[in-house]
Amino acid sequence: MANGFSGPVAQIVDSYLARLRKGLSGIPARDQDELVKEINSHIYESYRNDTEGDEVSRILRVLDKLGEPSEVLSSRMPEAMMSVGKKRKLPFLILAGVLIAFFGVPLGIGGLSAAVGLIIGLLALVISFYVVAVSLILTGWLSAVFMIVRLFSPGFLDRWVDVYPLVSDPTFNTVIYIAGALLIAALGFALLWLGSRLMRGMRFVFRLLFAKIRNWRKKAPAGGERTLGSDH
Amino acid sequence: MENKITQLRKGILELAILGALSRGRHYGYSLVRTIAGDSTIDLTEGTIYPILSRLAKEGLVASEWVESSQGPPRKYYTLTPKGREAFRILEEEFRKLAAIVTNAQNGAAPDDPGDRLNVLDISKESDNG
Repeated sequence: MANGFSGPVAQIVDSYLARLRKGLSGIPARDQDELVKEINSHIYESYRNDTEGDEVSRILRVLDKLGEPSEVLSSRMPEAMMSVGKKRKLPFLILAGVLIAFFGVPLGIGGLSAAVGLIIGLLALVISFYVVAVSLILTGWLSAVFMIVRLFSPGFLDRWVDVYPLVSDPTFNTVIYIAGALLIAALGFALLWLGSRLMRGMRFVFRLLFAKIRNWRKKAPAGGERTLGSDH
Repeated sequence: MENKITQLRKGILELAILGALSRGRHYGYSLVRTIAGDSTIDLTEGTIYPILSRLAKEGLVASEWVESSQGPPRKYYTLTPKGREAFRILEEEFRKLAAIVTNAQNGAAPDDPGDRLNVLDISKESDNG
């Protein structure tokens, strides 16, 4: 790509712009070109205004000030992908956009699909958990109501339901059933409460994970040689 | 904490971009130089581009490519009438908010009548906004 530079500086700039473009795959080609062109212009102007030291250290300083491609993209990408998603692959792109918004970094398609899988799995787990809790509550309440009605009008729904006599006194028997039903409902509520606790714990773990990933990405370029060298 | 700083910065940066553009057209790099000035704030320059593209999407700024006498063409941004209006409103709001923060910090003894008067003034103003 002609970027207005020559020699090793041109290579470094090319590598940076290539990484930028990689992060842009998924948005219309015209928008990609426009942003890459704009960033190239920024690099050129910044380089021209920074005259201290040799060419390579100048360009590295320029790119360092500009920030990682992910920083140039991170808050743009989700939106861009969303608007593409409206036209074409709606759910996946929106999910990917949301994920990138969450992670703050383009993970690459492999990482993305792994993350999508993980999240869908977790979501299924959470949903089934709540379905169980809600059905327990419903069962508990309905049976309790049913039994209370029976308390006042014995024989209510006798044609369809067979209530097993645990004790000989029918009233006491019904009371036992009501207690049992309420217990089931209570179990459902306990599950809901546990669920909110679990969600909080999960959110905490996730946030910790994100922070770790973010820090790791920030530190990574500092160690070793230089960010840009590694891509050659 | 870092997240909070980032959020605060993004909001203020957006206002600063609108402010710089209200005084004339800019391309990305000149915008960064204007905003950062010679201050010691370490601005990650790339962060202005996501903001600019969002402002463009919202119709607050317009852009055009202009050939440069040296090097590649530059993408110049200007404020649209809608952007000018948005800046006027946001700047006014920002002034009020900044005053609130300053007052809160100066917050001398709560019995100080002058101070109380000040605080009352501001709450009245923000009711109107």
